[in-house]
Amino acid sequence: MTTTEDSTKGSQSSARASYIYGIVPAGVRIPDGLDPIPYGEDGNQLGLVTEGRLAAVVSDVAADRALGTRKDLMAHEAVLNAIAQETPVLPMRFGAVVTDDDAVAEELLAPHQDYFIRALEQLKGHLEFRLRGDYDQDAVLTRILEADPSIQGMREKIAGVDEDASYYDRIRLGEAISKAMDQLRADDAQACVDALSKFAVATEVKEAGGENGAVHLAFLVRTDHRSDFERAVDELGDAWSGRVELRLIGPTAAFDFLPEFEVPDEAQA
Amino acid sequence: MQKEPQGGLAEVLDLILDKGLVIDAFVKVSLVGIEILTIDARIVVASVDTYLRFAEATNRLDLHAKGGKDLGQVVGGMTEGATQGGAKGKTKGVLDAGKEKWDEVRGERQSRREQA
Repeated sequence: MTTTEDSTKGSQSSARASYIYGIVPAGVRIPDGLDPIPYGEDGNQLGLVTEGRLAAVVSDVAADRALGTRKDLMAHEAVLNAIAQETPVLPMRFGAVVTDDDAVAEELLAPHQDYFIRALEQLKGHLEFRLRGDYDQDAVLTRILEADPSIQGMREKIAGVDEDASYYDRIRLGEAISKAMDQLRADDAQACVDALSKFAVATEVKEAGGENGAVHLAFLVRTDHRSDFERAVDELGDAWSGRVELRLIGPTAAFDFLPEFEVPDEAQA
Repeated sequence: MQKEPQGGLAEVLDLILDKGLVIDAFVKVSLVGIEILTIDARIVVASVDTYLRFAEATNRLDLHAKGGKDLGQVVGGMTEGATQGGAKGKTKGVLDAGKEKWDEVRGERQSRREQA
């Protein structure tokens, strides 16, 4: 995408701006066939804005369109993930838009190059994986009931009782189960940490989310430890089979392990 | 064990709206405040609705169903309640239109870009 593009996009009714996906080392190749965030009638293309040792992955967006459709969101993630398979990338949070490519180079890349270069070097040779697990509801409820006679008693109390009459008892039962599940979640997250963190350079326990959510963790794994890590995940999946359904997502861009950026004290502009 | 290169929409949302470098921390002058429409797909875990569904599911469990003799009866009896307890209110579909400040866009030539 170059200046020649201007003639074809001249008919665009709204102002064009530059959407930034992430930052990569200069000179890397972006995988082919990726769909950027939609813009214009004749499709859209990813481009690279290079400045010194860095490049930003960008595409055009309309400056007056709200972003956030399913396509927009999935495109942001898919572009970054595809790049992350091949090269370290610093992902931007969704919705990073600046006026034009000059701003990308002069205001984003050039003034903060020390941080970006250092962060890319730290992430080099590492991959992020996320592990998610959902409980098999019947299995987990059975386990909770069998482990706790008081919950069993609450269950017996509502059996056969009219729904309205047992309303508050059912809420109490559900609350007790919910608490027991929270404890189980904490135990299971710890079990994941114990089994897997030795294959990772960093581990983060995240909120499992969802009623049947069991575990959610992020791992930063060295490329040469990837197969060991994946094997350990497989073993855990087998051990938990029937109780927790595990899914391994990744490798993805290292959203969860970006080195801290300190806003410089000296006024920037 | 399932392996996926990318999670579903809810998982992607969870990630790209909460994580990643924030452009405002780096760019001040040429920032374009784009309106971001997001659906908060995070599910509220501890609610009365949830408690009732757990109670329902627990009531339905046939703990000693080694042979599964009475299962038909149990399941049949619970279908109504399960439907009634339904998934309404399960997902909090808040349309959160976070409007940020609007900067005027300069329609400059995008001459720096290389095709990827």
